[in-house]
Amino acid sequence: MYPFGKGMARHLPLLLLLIPTALYVLLGFGPSMVTIVFSFTDATGIPGTEWHFIGWENYRTFFTASNADDQIKAIGRSLYFAFAVVLIQNAVALFVAVLLNRKLKGDVFYRATLFLPVVLGVTVSGLIWQLMFNPMGGPVQRILKMFGTSSNFFGSYEVAFELIIFVQIWMYMGYSMTIFLAGLQAISRDLYEAGYIDGAKGWTAFRHITYPMIAPAVTVNMLLSIIGALQTFDIIYVTTGGKFETSTLAWNVFAAAFGATSADYGRASAIGMIQFVFVLIFAVAAMSYFRKREVEL
Amino acid sequence: MREPYSATASRYGVIWLLMALYLFPLFYLLNVAMKTQFEYLADPVALAKQIRFANFAEAWKLGNFADYLWNSIFYTVSSTVLTLLVSLIAAFPISRGYVRFSGFFYTFFLISLFLPNPLIPQFALMNELGLYNTQIGYILLRTSGTGIAFLLIVGYVKSISRELDEAAAIDGCGYMRYMFTILLPLVKPVLATGAILTAIGTWNDIILPVIYLSNADLAPVTKGLFAFRGQYLNNWPMLACGIIIVAAPLILLYSFVQRYIVDGALAGALKA
Repeated sequence: MYPFGKGMARHLPLLLLLIPTALYVLLGFGPSMVTIVFSFTDATGIPGTEWHFIGWENYRTFFTASNADDQIKAIGRSLYFAFAVVLIQNAVALFVAVLLNRKLKGDVFYRATLFLPVVLGVTVSGLIWQLMFNPMGGPVQRILKMFGTSSNFFGSYEVAFELIIFVQIWMYMGYSMTIFLAGLQAISRDLYEAGYIDGAKGWTAFRHITYPMIAPAVTVNMLLSIIGALQTFDIIYVTTGGKFETSTLAWNVFAAAFGATSADYGRASAIGMIQFVFVLIFAVAAMSYFRKREVEL
Repeated sequence: MREPYSATASRYGVIWLLMALYLFPLFYLLNVAMKTQFEYLADPVALAKQIRFANFAEAWKLGNFADYLWNSIFYTVSSTVLTLLVSLIAAFPISRGYVRFSGFFYTFFLISLFLPNPLIPQFALMNELGLYNTQIGYILLRTSGTGIAFLLIVGYVKSISRELDEAAAIDGCGYMRYMFTILLPLVKPVLATGAILTAIGTWNDIILPVIYLSNADLAPVTKGLFAFRGQYLNNWPMLACGIIIVAAPLILLYSFVQRYIVDGALAGALKA
């Protein structure tokens, strides 16, 4: 029951709620929907030009144009990026969270340090790793030299994309770890003691007590990282600018619409919709799988 | 349950390895910043010969960092305050069910996470409205009542007793006054977390400034630093100073507020 009066006062919550709703519809939800429309047009960013509906043409071009091979590869890289980031980031984050879920000397400092890259942000983090991976005698190159090899790092077709994945995980592992840790700290000690009496320790305790108990944290982390990994491209902007075969679908949307040589809104929107289909498939699959697991407890 | 000595030792071992992976790049950055270009070229990895701050002063001037920092502070503070405001007026009635279809609103806001990339129509709209290349336009784009602050508040309000609303209402407290004078202090813990996460998001945003703030006078520090990199890519000591100028205030601020994030305050995200 709404306690704050009747009549006009009753409508105040809704009136106020209209402000965030309007903001969201105008700048978020609305534009997202219009992206669908744009993807069927030949709209461009060139002022004063007319645009027309052209049906599925943008989608056809995506799969059949002379550079279609690059586009297909970008899909592959998007999926590779997402799988690698989601699996490694969450596995490492969970492992580290379990390590830190104990009274340790300096535990607050450790946690704060692992979260630091989130605070520093993508520009600073990206530049720091370019310094570390400087091919001209940077620290990592120095180590490679000791093994008689060398690399161009972010300027190399072989490893640039893997390095981007590495930096992405370095940046956001602390975020996932913090959420896992929050889940872990809510588990009662009694459960472990009861388990211990029943002979559950080490891996068994983790498998049958810890992991089920942090199911909500797993769901949140998996969802956030899947969506994030499929949508992110700022790390690519900062490190390689999409060169050296590091472009993904998300990057190609940006490059086709706002790149130095392209303002093709229709085509960019179509790429955005293809990206959206992947986000939807994986997010829904992950959500139903992990939510089901939560319910089974 | 005490764990055996060997387990504790390997626990610390792994953590220290991780610390090296996270802290060494920062120490190396500082080391490079202290060098002259000549020293750096002679041996990039060697320790700097002296502690030298002259580089910082030069980078500060060359990179226009004063202007960029000011812009970033302005964008971050305005968009964070506005975001908390609209998040609160969205989250409270939805969490309590004080509006019809609260469940619908909640889901409607939540799907903002999944939706197709809005960038292109959004850009066309901002252009139409004359908000391209304006500070107010950028702040509007960074203001949202559907993000992490919203989720955190929705979750937290559930833990505050409804009877408090009723008691206040009986005493004649109106809806607005209740939200801003009674509820606000109560949700402070998640508000702090929400504020920090929102602020981090805006401060570190680089894509929207690249798209919307092409005028260099309006650029925030991320875009400024990236432009600085373009100019000084072959002068790493100078560039390292630029990076530190941007990063040092963040690290300092973070050391004061980190407890709001790492003390498990993000647990709120699990309740929502």
